[in-house]
Amino acid sequence: MDLDLKVKLAVYRHFAATARRPSPGEIGERIGATAAEVLGAYGRLRAQRVLVLEEDGAAIRMAPPFSGVPTQHVAVVEGRRYFANCAWDVLGVFAALHQAGTVHSRCGQSGEPLLLSVGPDGPEPSDWLFHCAVPAARWWDDIVFT
Amino acid sequence: MLFFRSEERVREWCRARALPVRPLVGMAQLWGLATAWYSTRLDPAARRPQPGEMREIFARLGLAGDFWDPQADSFG
Repeated sequence: MDLDLKVKLAVYRHFAATARRPSPGEIGERIGATAAEVLGAYGRLRAQRVLVLEEDGAAIRMAPPFSGVPTQHVAVVEGRRYFANCAWDVLGVFAALHQAGTVHSRCGQSGEPLLLSVGPDGPEPSDWLFHCAVPAARWWDDIVFT
Repeated sequence: MLFFRSEERVREWCRARALPVRPLVGMAQLWGLATAWYSTRLDPAARRPQPGEMREIFARLGLAGDFWDPQADSFG
């Protein structure tokens, strides 16, 4: 298994186990690599649109569907609170973990809270809507805005 | 990419930002997108869908048109 794949899996497994972003040191310790090697892999994974990094190039902003920073989209699974990057990704957390739980989010316009149970086969019936302002061809122009 | 309580709330949000209203997606469709993108994300062989695969996923979920085309050149 090459270094980039080891780093990617370690990042995702850390998010899954802790609901928090790992530091480069934690990843290095887990896979037996130096921090410089981990940061090199981060850069390549960013280029492949696997990770989105903060400006320092060391902190993970996104490992979709997981967010490295608090957001309004929270997936609660077995008592852990996973922050997601957007409404799509908050359902993606349950899909990635293959676990049930509850979405805690809100209406983008009114702020009305959304509480939505998600089971093995998806969310309970709901008439809430999802809206994306950016066309698919432009999503990665500014993925944080998207 | 946000949740909205209703179509009217979407229209208000877009009007306040002088943005066009884009296609609305229901919760069952959104679950389809979430599983297509992320159900294997923790697996060693996982990879992001490529443009042709994205088109197939969107079409399967009833999401058609240039807005969902990852290679559309009609948005500047």
